[in-house]
Amino acid sequence: MTRAAHPEAMAPPKKGPTRTAPPRMPGSWWGAPRIRTYLLFGATGVVYFLAGTVVLHLVWALGKGPDAWATVMASLSHPLYLVFHALTLISVLFVGIRAFGTMMPKMQPRGGPLPVLAPGLVRGLIYSAWAALTLVFSLILAGKIGS
Amino acid sequence: MVQVSRHDIVIVGGGGAGLRAAIAAAEANPDLSIALVSKVYPMRSHTVSAEGGAAAIARDDDNEELHGFDTVKGSDFLGDQDVIEYFVENAPRELALLENWGCPWSRNEDGSVSTRAFGGMSTKRTWYATDKVGFHMLHALFQHSLRFDNIVRYDEFFVTKLLVEDGRCQGVAALEIRTGEFHAILGRSVILATGGAGKIFPFTTNGTIKTGDGMALAYQAGVALKDMEFVQYHPTGLPGTGILITEAARGEGGYLRNNKDERFLVDYDYGVGDKAELGPRDMVSRAIIQEFEAGRGFEGRYGKYCVVDLRHLGEKHIDAKLPFVRELAKIYIGVDPVHEYIPIRPVVHYMMGGVDTDINAATELPGLFAAGEVACASLNGANRLGSNSLTECLVFGAVAGRNAIEFAQGAGEGNSSALVSQAEEEAARVEALRGNGRGNEKIAGLRHEMNSTMEAGCGVYRMQESMQIAATETRSIRKRAADLHLKDSSRVFNTEIVSALELQNMVELAEVLAVSAAHRKESRGAHTCRDYPTRDDQSFLYHTLAHRTDDGPRLGRKEVKLGHWEPQERKY
Amino acid sequence: MAESKKMLRVEISRFDPDRDEVPKTQEYEIPVQDDWKVLDAINYIKDEVDPSISHRWSCRMAVCGSCGMMLNGEPKLTCKTPLSDYDETIKIEPLANFPIVRDLVVDMDGFMDKFRKVKPWIVRAKARAEDMEDLNEKGTFSQSPDQLATFKQFSMCINCLLCYAACPVIANEPEFIGPAAIALGHRYNLDSRDEGQAERNSIFRGEGTVFSCSFANECSEVCPKNVDPAAAVNQAKLAAVVDWAKGLVLPREGA
Repeated sequence: MTRAAHPEAMAPPKKGPTRTAPPRMPGSWWGAPRIRTYLLFGATGVVYFLAGTVVLHLVWALGKGPDAWATVMASLSHPLYLVFHALTLISVLFVGIRAFGTMMPKMQPRGGPLPVLAPGLVRGLIYSAWAALTLVFSLILAGKIGS
Repeated sequence: MVQVSRHDIVIVGGGGAGLRAAIAAAEANPDLSIALVSKVYPMRSHTVSAEGGAAAIARDDDNEELHGFDTVKGSDFLGDQDVIEYFVENAPRELALLENWGCPWSRNEDGSVSTRAFGGMSTKRTWYATDKVGFHMLHALFQHSLRFDNIVRYDEFFVTKLLVEDGRCQGVAALEIRTGEFHAILGRSVILATGGAGKIFPFTTNGTIKTGDGMALAYQAGVALKDMEFVQYHPTGLPGTGILITEAARGEGGYLRNNKDERFLVDYDYGVGDKAELGPRDMVSRAIIQEFEAGRGFEGRYGKYCVVDLRHLGEKHIDAKLPFVRELAKIYIGVDPVHEYIPIRPVVHYMMGGVDTDINAATELPGLFAAGEVACASLNGANRLGSNSLTECLVFGAVAGRNAIEFAQGAGEGNSSALVSQAEEEAARVEALRGNGRGNEKIAGLRHEMNSTMEAGCGVYRMQESMQIAATETRSIRKRAADLHLKDSSRVFNTEIVSALELQNMVELAEVLAVSAAHRKESRGAHTCRDYPTRDDQSFLYHTLAHRTDDGPRLGRKEVKLGHWEPQERKY
Repeated sequence: MAESKKMLRVEISRFDPDRDEVPKTQEYEIPVQDDWKVLDAINYIKDEVDPSISHRWSCRMAVCGSCGMMLNGEPKLTCKTPLSDYDETIKIEPLANFPIVRDLVVDMDGFMDKFRKVKPWIVRAKARAEDMEDLNEKGTFSQSPDQLATFKQFSMCINCLLCYAACPVIANEPEFIGPAAIALGHRYNLDSRDEGQAERNSIFRGEGTVFSCSFANECSEVCPKNVDPAAAVNQAKLAAVVDWAKGLVLPREGA
């Protein structure tokens, strides 16, 4: 409880009959491991934003012609870029597992016309689709299909 | 300065009975104002801890005669039969109402409400919502009560006195725990629904809030307490903490075993075959103590114990029907009942006695009603059958609510200034206690003394001598409780003063309990004397009444209302 | 009972509005028993060392929901948490995100207000039980075990408020109605006996309700009863949207 929460957090609709101490937040964000996970999860947005600019850069290069494309492609193997690629991969795995593996399965609508599947099954389906798409894109990039 | 507020009826207690009363009253007339005063937020009330179920006829093989006779026999013929007949007749309707209000009762495949077997019940008539029945009932009631704008809640207000003027009860004086301020909450009738007083004893399934406040309030206002000697020991509580392992564990087919690994209840003849474990609570508790005395109990850090064996039910059945038992056993004793035995011992569970009420939930004091465990309508007599009490909260809560409204409509406003000045006197008394810094007695110390006195004197098996000692000692403890030393002088949320007031309530009741017990020289239901081992209908087929005097309770008697069920030997 | 007394340092947050400007910490050194829960330690201090500590508790079996506190910064039920989880020191504070009334006691009135907003009761066109339609001859609704299972999990909330103390959204957005209240509203929406979905879904589309949730999942992590309020909130998001979309296409009944 090192930081103050919003002064009105969970405050009653009308002020209580005695003076209260203001609400506190649970821990500093780095000190509380679970909030840390949540914030890192949110922070992956920055990585995706950067990855997006890289993709835009590639598209721009594509429009410029083969020389520009080759230059940009070559620059991608720069060690700093490799670190960034690794970071992107970690972010994708992190979000893939947390959002799609853990959270999505329990969002299935209940009480409607659709059956509620076992979370494990949903997770399995999502991961299979993920693996299949990865395979397809890898094959495309390796020039095995579609060229 | 006391703050004064006025309502039509004032309900003290926000558990099953209090909420049911509030809803009944609110439904009866939306223009009347109902105050619901509780020392905790209603969803914290101890109804929440009930596990096994609520009894009412549901199946085609059941009828009022059967449920009625089971209850009469369970009560060891001390139940009032008019009350029992009314109860069994209205029980199904009350449980169905709760269903309509959202209680998630467990269901059969065909969509009807499912029932389970319980001790002393001749057929499956216990409605259940897995093994968290009290929790689901309380939350359904509380949530349903929120739709009524005319129920005004006073959460975390501790009532210290009934305001009686002109020969009738016209409100309560209450301490607002949050502010430390005093309130006179006036009404034309008052309902007590504060529950039991298990905390008089050291090992109890009861939560810490169960300090018998309502019983003490009525007793101090001159109303009789009835049958206080009858204290139910639940056979299966966890040693040490006293946490309840529901009777549904037996109802669903669990066994009790001793240290020889025997299903010892088979030898006690409370039931044949699969029903061997389904004896009523008083008898099963005695059987466990007999096992201890014969050297067939296990030894543990909290004394002797036997075990509940659920292993043969299988993980699936346990998770479907008894998930809370599994959770509690894992958390509080570190065993998984799917593979291991759960250690248990008899622990204090329920007070059959309480404020003397009749079939109308009315007390001898006009304008004062009582329902639930605080009351003794004599539904339960000398021993309550498991799963009758939750239903009792509903049936007689509703009766109290309706009758209190009716009484209020026929009663005048009363003399406000006299009531307020009573509340002011009361405020001064409580104020003098707050952080008094004098006094020679410690709250916790005196509580431990009271606990061990009651355990020694008024346990499962009792002796004339030990009860007499308990009576003498509780009298001295009561007197000493006037001399408490309090250290916390703060105004806001002072829980020390609440504990002190609760203790002063409990010591009054402990004395009544011990004196009433010593007086009853027979064995009936939960009251078992070694020196008087049989039931004596010639001399003791009556209710014990206790009126307050400064020198201790003055005992009287009240006739048992018999009906078409003649007293007979109680055999299962 | 006297075996193996270990000493433990307990730091308790103290606040008395009449004396203290802000909460302060008080330390106690007490002997503890190996089978104690954290609540036993607090009660030992109150009984034997310092009777002026204020805290709420009752059932000591994890069902009344009174005794939620922050233990070393994590919201927990003190009656359920073994002391053996803590080595030499434990820091006990009132639940985060709530105004503090006194010591370990927080102001719940804000919660009670939010709780009522979701209409946590069976809504029927005809509300009085006597007037309800579709009741069978025994006076109950028919509900299959599957229909029961649809909402049962979300009916297990004990209102202990741990989820509010853990929720990062609550900490920053006071209007947010919060996990337990939404889970309860969603529980009634899923109940086959209820007819209040449209009313509650329109509440859920309002400011400060389900769409304030950023799916941090903290509430489900700390829930002592496995209610999984995060699931309820996010199912409710979907249901509220579907309900809104339906309203665009289909004519509303009775509107």
